Amino acid sequence: MKASEIKKMLIRSLDPDADTRDFPEKLEEEGVYFDFSYGFSDKVLDRLSHAVSASLPQAEFIKGMNYVFYRIALTGIAAIVILLISIFLMEGSLSINSFIGLSDTYDESIMCLLTGN
Amino acid sequence: MIRESYRQYGDDELVKASLEGNKQAFGEIIARYKGMVARTVKGMLGDSVYSEDIGQDVFIKLYKSLPDFRGEAKLSTYIQKIAVNLTLNELKRRKRFFSMFTQAGNNEMYEYEIAAHDSEERRDAAEIVGKALKGMDPRFRIILTMRMLQGYSTRETAEILDLPIGTVLSRLSRAQEQLKGILNKL
Repeated sequence: MKASEIKKMLIRSLDPDADTRDFPEKLEEEGVYFDFSYGFSDKVLDRLSHAVSASLPQAEFIKGMNYVFYRIALTGIAAIVILLISIFLMEGSLSINSFIGLSDTYDESIMCLLTGN
Repeated sequence: MIRESYRQYGDDELVKASLEGNKQAFGEIIARYKGMVARTVKGMLGDSVYSEDIGQDVFIKLYKSLPDFRGEAKLSTYIQKIAVNLTLNELKRRKRFFSMFTQAGNNEMYEYEIAAHDSEERRDAAEIVGKALKGMDPRFRIILTMRMLQGYSTRETAEILDLPIGTVLSRLSRAQEQLKGILNKL
């Protein structure tokens, strides 16, 4: 194909009604082709493998943290329940005074404790 | 050898297999569409190592977004949209970068390497296409790339570029004017 024909084809490709379906093929026949370098597919797959393996330890860490968090939270809730039961059994009530161990202490004795008199 | 067996698979089957973690199936998707992606990326950015990187990014992004691919559009259209978006983003990035140092446009980065062809006619063809692409405004270059290098219709071009058909028609006309000016100088 002569240079003038290539130019005409380029201009024609921008006609809204032109059927350009076979233009890429025609260009390739004229030696105009675009491709990536040798081993392109393998490079992409390598990058994907690295991306997956790099994200794996991160995902494992987050999963591990979630597991540990649930274990700690459940243990904490169990400890609070046991504490409440033991306070109830020892003090006979669940009032604030029972919680902070002031059930048998009067205000005056606190003043004595604080002032030392 | 194993990849050979995937050649007869349809796109849907390849997507399904890739979603199940089958890298060979995804390798076949790359082999099938890398030429199409190269025409868009290298047509827009020229032939350079950056184009290779963007080409790789297209398939990495495709792999990551496969769970979102619902099969409503053809896989080729889906890949083409990713390629166009990443290429236009790269052009914007270059424009920002160059505007920091110079008034020159992003064409500074456009390299069109003419392959060593066996005849003068074929060398001429590659040179003309390369110079035409390089000389065009990126807004018009993408239109020429879609029409000339990919063979899309006006409607398909509008769909891939996510533009109203009226905008594409107007750009076709303006691109044609600009192209005539460039080609007259060659």
